[in-house]
Amino acid sequence: MAYTLRGRIESRVAAALVPLLAGCILALVLQAWWPVELAGLMLGVGLLFDIAYHRLVTYQPGWAALPLGLLELGAIMGLAHLLHVGAPLWAALAFYAGSWLLAQALGHAIFPLARLSYGEDGGELGRAGAGLAATALVLLAAAGGVAWATQPPVVHLAAGVHEGPLVLDYSQQLVGEPGAVVRGGIIVTADDVTIRDVTVVGGEHGIQVESAERVLLERVNVFDATLDGINVRRGQVTIRDCSVSMLGNEFGQGIDISFTADLAPSLVENCLLTGGQEGIFLDSVHAMARGNHVRRTTLRGITVTEMAMVAVEGNTVEDALGIGIFCSDYSMCDIRENSITGIRPDPDSSDSMREGYGIVSHYWAHAEVEDNDVSRSPYEMGEFSDAYITSE
Amino acid sequence: MCAIVGGGLAGFCAYATLRKGGLEPAEIVVLGTDPDPAAVWRIRSAAIRQRRMRSESDGHCAPSSFPGLAVRAALRRRSAAPLVQSVCDRYHPSVDEFLEHLEELRAATRWDESFQRSRVDRVRAVDGGFEVDGHGVFPHVLLAPGHPGLAWPDELAADSRAVHAYEPHDFADTVEIVGAGMAAATEWLNALAAGASVVSVRRREPERRPLNLPRELFSRRGLAGYHRSVAAERIAILERYGAPSYPAGRAWDEPVESARRGGRFRVASELNGAPQVVCATGFKRGFRHNPLLARLVAEHGLETAGEWIVLTPDSTVGSLTDAERTLALAGAPAQWAFPAADTLVGAKYAARRFHRKVSAWRTR
Repeated sequence: MAYTLRGRIESRVAAALVPLLAGCILALVLQAWWPVELAGLMLGVGLLFDIAYHRLVTYQPGWAALPLGLLELGAIMGLAHLLHVGAPLWAALAFYAGSWLLAQALGHAIFPLARLSYGEDGGELGRAGAGLAATALVLLAAAGGVAWATQPPVVHLAAGVHEGPLVLDYSQQLVGEPGAVVRGGIIVTADDVTIRDVTVVGGEHGIQVESAERVLLERVNVFDATLDGINVRRGQVTIRDCSVSMLGNEFGQGIDISFTADLAPSLVENCLLTGGQEGIFLDSVHAMARGNHVRRTTLRGITVTEMAMVAVEGNTVEDALGIGIFCSDYSMCDIRENSITGIRPDPDSSDSMREGYGIVSHYWAHAEVEDNDVSRSPYEMGEFSDAYITSE
Repeated sequence: MCAIVGGGLAGFCAYATLRKGGLEPAEIVVLGTDPDPAAVWRIRSAAIRQRRMRSESDGHCAPSSFPGLAVRAALRRRSAAPLVQSVCDRYHPSVDEFLEHLEELRAATRWDESFQRSRVDRVRAVDGGFEVDGHGVFPHVLLAPGHPGLAWPDELAADSRAVHAYEPHDFADTVEIVGAGMAAATEWLNALAAGASVVSVRRREPERRPLNLPRELFSRRGLAGYHRSVAAERIAILERYGAPSYPAGRAWDEPVESARRGGRFRVASELNGAPQVVCATGFKRGFRHNPLLARLVAEHGLETAGEWIVLTPDSTVGSLTDAERTLALAGAPAQWAFPAADTLVGAKYAARRFHRKVSAWRTR
């Protein structure tokens, strides 16, 4: 068809109505905003492309919908990644594919049936076009309004020392200004809490998450906690770009996430963990530990235990005593592309596992390993108590 | 109540559109010379042994472009091939498929209930509408008189060797084919297939394009500029696109090239005494060749430009159309509103706008 610009825009907006509506319904059902965000992004990207198409494509044959659709898909997925639209990949692809197919059916069959002059009008929909555009705008505005109104409030933590423990018992974003320090720890008991750019000093646990989901800890620094740097129980968290210093702490863990196997997976990413018994301790969880740097621990670098299912990927573990990465107690561990160096034998232990292993699989656990680099350690890998290690 | 003057394809498209729009057969009068809307077209396409349409999937007479003939073919053949060809602009329905669809539509729209056999020579504006040559006064009239006749080169008008491509004919051993458009190209292949030697007599090289106009001129994208153009520009556009053209493709080129290598095909600028001359020179052009239109223009002082009656973009005669009445043109005489008016898409362009006028009048 030889579209006019108005025809392209009206056809695009009209075809986006159903995906927008579906996005709103899905958002309600899934209790997640990504379907609306994705539908809005699809419409926005499509309209921008339409302006470009108008100049470049005088006549658009039917087959061109396929390469142009793939081009738009690439742009949408790229933007979704950049804008942190939390859509699962396959769900996003399915949503896009369904919307694209619907648009084709509308453009080739339904619009021409509903408006006989659709083709010769260059895709314009007449009065209906304006009405549909208004409906789409209202729908987007309503969804955006609801999204805005239901956003957790942002609480700014001013520079300086704030006496804790702070208890966050309702949904909110706690954002620290440069130099903001909480002394005595933070306790999170509500869902949908974000803590960003905050330094925590002391406390029994530096940050404690108790039965709370969709918690984001981003760019937090934790020092001198009595027990764990970050402790999560019955919670689901994303911990990103953090640092936890546990030097001199005899019994604590840098990050301890436990008893969350029935919840959505947790993520620990790009954190620097120094000292303590274990850098990352994952007990009965679904989780991923990715790109972290763990060093100078006194028991193990990273521990996965008690029927946990965990991907341990791209981490650096160095100067750990006894064991680098430990997979135990019926757990299933996907251990790949980690760098493990300087694991020392534990002279105070008679346990043969602690003679300086990069990776240990223990007690019926199964560790799948690939492309790990173990150096300056007595042993690369070991299997104990009916556990096993496989590699692809 | 409205009248369609002309019972050919353009008139039939208008009728089907009005029926789709909710008018009953009793509310429409069709005046024509043959109840078969394809009667004339059928003879001409048979004469040039046309097997496939130049138009694509939407080249049919139904009011809506969907489902097109490719969808029908896909369902009938249980194959996606016609659909794939269609999205690649490579699907051209066969003449038989087109005619079969037309027959179904003719029955479904109850065309024959509205058809009256009559030759209309005069349409005159009167109070309350238009007086149609003794058939009464109608507030809304669409004129679809078709082409005014076959065009013959002056020097061949009385030449016994000459036959027009659109008249039934066989081929002599050597044939000169005058013209360079779609009919001429079809006749080159026909004559070569019949074993004749062909001389293509033409003054200029034909343009090669899939449809008889660039595609953007079939939609508002190209039409907006066309409608904004002043008379001289518009005449230039119409003359430019009135020049001969036929589609590109191996199906056209290979037989000709093969014959050229074998000495059975050549191009000449003038006739040179062959025993048979086929005039693939199309149709007479212009309202002056059509007695009905010429009289209409003369009696009402209608604005004209060159060989065209000046129309509004919705294919109506502006000086004779208002909220109470409509005089619209469809088919070849409507090129001032739609350059490809002599195509099926063009016929539907006029039909849809005529229907809007009628519909607005009915619902006031």
